[in-house]
Amino acid sequence: MAVTTARPVAAGRTTTGRPAPARRRRRSRAGLTVRIVLAVVTALVMAFPLWVMLTTAFSGQRTFDADVSVIPRRFSLDNFSRVFAAWPVGTWFGNSVVVSVITTVVTVVVSVLAGYAFAKLRFPFKTPLFLLLLATMMIPTQAILVPQFRIVNSLGLIGTFWAVIIPGAAATFGIFLARQFMLAIPNELMEAAELDGAGSLRIFWSIVLPLCKPLLAVLTLLALMYQWNDFLWPLIALKDPTLYTLPIGLQFLQGQYRTDYGALMAMTLIAVAPLVVLFLAFQRFFVQGLATTGIR
Amino acid sequence: MAFNRRQALLGGLGLGAAAGLSGCAGLTGKAGSPAPSSSGSGSALQAELTFVNWSGDQEKKAFDAVITAFEKANPGITIKTETVPYANVQTNLDSRFQAGSPPDLFRVSYIDIGQYTSEDVLLDVSGTFDQAKIDAFVPGLWEGVVYDGKPYGVPHQIDTTAILYRTDAFEAAGLTAPKSLDEAWSWEQFAEASTKLAGVVKGKQVPFIYDWQSAGAYRWLSWLFQAGGSLLGEDLKSPAIDSDQGRRAVEFTQSFFTKGWVARNSSVKSSTYPDSAFISGTVAMAFAGDFLIPGIEDGVGKKFEYASMPMPKDVQAATDLGGNAVVASAQGKNTEAAARFLEFLVTEEQQRTFCEATGELPTLKSLTAADLDFQVRPDLMKTFVEQATTLTPEQVKQVTVPQFAKINAALQEELEKAFLGGASAADTTAALATAVQKASA
Amino acid sequence: MTTAPTLPVTAGPPATPSRDTGRLRHGRRWDRAAVLFLLPSLLLAIGFLIVPMIAAFVYSAARIAPLSGRVTWVQLANYGAMFTDPTFYRALLNTALFIGLTVPLSMAVGLALAVLMNSVLPGRRIVRTIIYLPLVISGVAVGLIGTFLFNDTIGVFNGLATSLGLPNVSWQSRGLPAFISLVLITLWIRVGFTMIIYLAGLQAVPVELYEAAQVEGASGWQRFRFITFPLLGPSTFFLLIMNVIYSFQVFDTVFVLTNGGPGSATEVLGTYAYKTAFGPARDQGYGAAIGVVIFLLTLIFTVVQWRTNRNRDEVA
Repeated sequence: MAVTTARPVAAGRTTTGRPAPARRRRRSRAGLTVRIVLAVVTALVMAFPLWVMLTTAFSGQRTFDADVSVIPRRFSLDNFSRVFAAWPVGTWFGNSVVVSVITTVVTVVVSVLAGYAFAKLRFPFKTPLFLLLLATMMIPTQAILVPQFRIVNSLGLIGTFWAVIIPGAAATFGIFLARQFMLAIPNELMEAAELDGAGSLRIFWSIVLPLCKPLLAVLTLLALMYQWNDFLWPLIALKDPTLYTLPIGLQFLQGQYRTDYGALMAMTLIAVAPLVVLFLAFQRFFVQGLATTGIR
Repeated sequence: MAFNRRQALLGGLGLGAAAGLSGCAGLTGKAGSPAPSSSGSGSALQAELTFVNWSGDQEKKAFDAVITAFEKANPGITIKTETVPYANVQTNLDSRFQAGSPPDLFRVSYIDIGQYTSEDVLLDVSGTFDQAKIDAFVPGLWEGVVYDGKPYGVPHQIDTTAILYRTDAFEAAGLTAPKSLDEAWSWEQFAEASTKLAGVVKGKQVPFIYDWQSAGAYRWLSWLFQAGGSLLGEDLKSPAIDSDQGRRAVEFTQSFFTKGWVARNSSVKSSTYPDSAFISGTVAMAFAGDFLIPGIEDGVGKKFEYASMPMPKDVQAATDLGGNAVVASAQGKNTEAAARFLEFLVTEEQQRTFCEATGELPTLKSLTAADLDFQVRPDLMKTFVEQATTLTPEQVKQVTVPQFAKINAALQEELEKAFLGGASAADTTAALATAVQKASA
Repeated sequence: MTTAPTLPVTAGPPATPSRDTGRLRHGRRWDRAAVLFLLPSLLLAIGFLIVPMIAAFVYSAARIAPLSGRVTWVQLANYGAMFTDPTFYRALLNTALFIGLTVPLSMAVGLALAVLMNSVLPGRRIVRTIIYLPLVISGVAVGLIGTFLFNDTIGVFNGLATSLGLPNVSWQSRGLPAFISLVLITLWIRVGFTMIIYLAGLQAVPVELYEAAQVEGASGWQRFRFITFPLLGPSTFFLLIMNVIYSFQVFDTVFVLTNGGPGSATEVLGTYAYKTAFGPARDQGYGAAIGVVIFLLTLIFTVVQWRTNRNRDEVA
């Protein structure tokens, strides 16, 4: 029979089944070993780049010779102190926080409102509007860089955080996620409230929203992730180095430090750490959010 | 479980908010915009100037020192420096100009200044610089900031290229370096030496690296000038590069790659610069600009000993003109204060201090002849000072024409094809001539 | 904001459950409150997505002076220039090649990993986390780590190769290795996303089907080919669109890792559009034109893919 032991196991459920006959058991043990080996190799390969980043950042080394070692030789915070002494990394970090958080809040609010409308309310042109929003997701940033710059410029916002926040909140993926989620909320709940005389806003606020906690979590995390890592538009919109967010600061340092990989990796670690920590703590929501959209 | 997570989130947000308070400036939009108004004229000027530049570590300190001195001598004027990576400077300036809020002052290299002078956005400083002041500069260098007969800024410093070499490599190869400009190697001697070095380098090392990467592509022109060739004709518009000398220069520099004397990833479009290559010990010689010396000294430390020698010569000795001017924008709100800073920047004392700290070369006649007390490796700087004397006014004129930035871009394209793409010398010079024609149109 | 990664498979008329047309609310046929709910997002989308996209079309017919911002109309001159621009064709070719390599590879590897992670395996959770962790790391950071890994002279990979006695690869200075380094780095990022989607799809396959097939005597491979793979159709469809859109618009990693080099060996449409508009050339009109091309190509691909899927479903 098969080498792969059994039926695919859904997360959290254990396999139920009859104990396999001896022949199958032997084969299945070989199968298990193969799978373990594959998994270990995969894990090592996938973790390798991050491992390199970690060890280099903490190595205190500034210049690298042709013989590079991936086993850490020493531990030092020199690279970090060097970068912090020369450049306003703390400011950049703060900028990233401010911009990401504000944009996320606006995005979530806007998306949830619109998602509710598309999921539960009736209004004319619903389908065409929906398709239009769908189409906007295909717009590449590079295409609208120039016009967006001129528009934001004419609003006098270039050089302020708002130049990044406001266009950033125009992301339409949140609307789809919200709509998807809210479609599943039973209408009976809302109809009951209507019969009691509640208006749309009231229904939304008291009945629907409390049920949306998972949605809010997912939206917040995803929006935060995209805003934190956003690079191209902020690069153009923020011209003042004291306003740089971390990705821009990172690329800035690439130009300044060139092959001083100790400093570059230290800086990369700082830029990457918050999201990694957030992700590890809230994995479930991240994965759920990304996966939900893939299922009909 | 959820309780702990919530606490962690709140804690994180709290920390982030604390860090983020510094970012509040970005919300109000005040950051980066100069405070308007210079109240009244006369010596009691009030102004806040913005100065956009790029700088390495030593340059940054040196600029800060000049600014502090200026602010002390002119209480009421403050200057805010904004350091931007060199690669982003032009777009940064573009968006500021388009947004209607140009910086009061900015640094610009001689090869790029033409783009700004020809667009009429720079401040005409003839009011601040009379003939006597102009005569204090090395002739030809002042020309770098002049357009249509009027000066639009000040030539702050220049730099040039010479060779740094490792003494251990030369010993192993049995080479003696020339000690002065007269003893400079000929092209044949240089080729011989490179072959000997190729024999002693180990592993990933190569004999040398040249500093023509990225915007430095024009530094290749040294070879052209050494061969006795020219980039532009007398009218400074028509190309003169499609010549025997031009082809000779291309062929010679192509041989660096085919003979394995330079690493393939040190070509014009690469991001491996001479300082990092020299510091990491992968080259025996580095053609480097003098402004790299403080950084190299810092990076090399005690790893190995190195010294300097002049560029090779063919028909004549030649080198490249690097360096930058500082200019003011005509639409700035504080042009008077800006002009004052420009004047201050190029006084003898300030220029001397700046150059000594950064290893860059002065533009004032009084200083080029003098013995500057360079802070870092004055022994090496001697070679560069000497090398800079090979610059001729004609060469300076050719590389500071308004269309030079376009020519530089074409140099990058065609040289990359010649070095890594196997293009022939004849095709390269022909393509360059076409590009020069197009640029000058 | 960079284009989001998620796009629901349901597009078509949104399901409007149970509210029949006969019902009236407050005497109106539609919910006036909808305006309030929709306005913010509509305004933002119009102002910062739709209008700029239309403007991009408009600007692609212009030449914009770098410093002054003055606009001169040149009609189709930019597109004409595109036809004779060798770098544009190179970028187009590279983008196609990039898509052709990263999409199938990331989907195949992602699928394989999903199957692996779906089986009984100790430490499964940890391995899964490691696989999709790269998703949250910014493109710039990934590119930077890549420059260290792939550096010709002092990079980690070449260093390891040397210590193992293997030859060094010129990751940075030769076109093909540079391209491969880009593909590898992109796979590292994207494989996790593919795996997540496929995992969810795998877990939605009813167990009874496998049991029935097993009773019939189907081998593991046969079960995969005739049950699993077809039932993953929607996931595959979704992933195809998402990954192609991502690869069409890739920018951050290319910009930081190779910046289109050596020469134009890794120049893609995204980086070329940026370079022409904001690089030394500072030709914003031409950059807008290239952006328009990116948009149209993405749109065409998605529509074609949609139609194919619809037909497939109808036939099936």
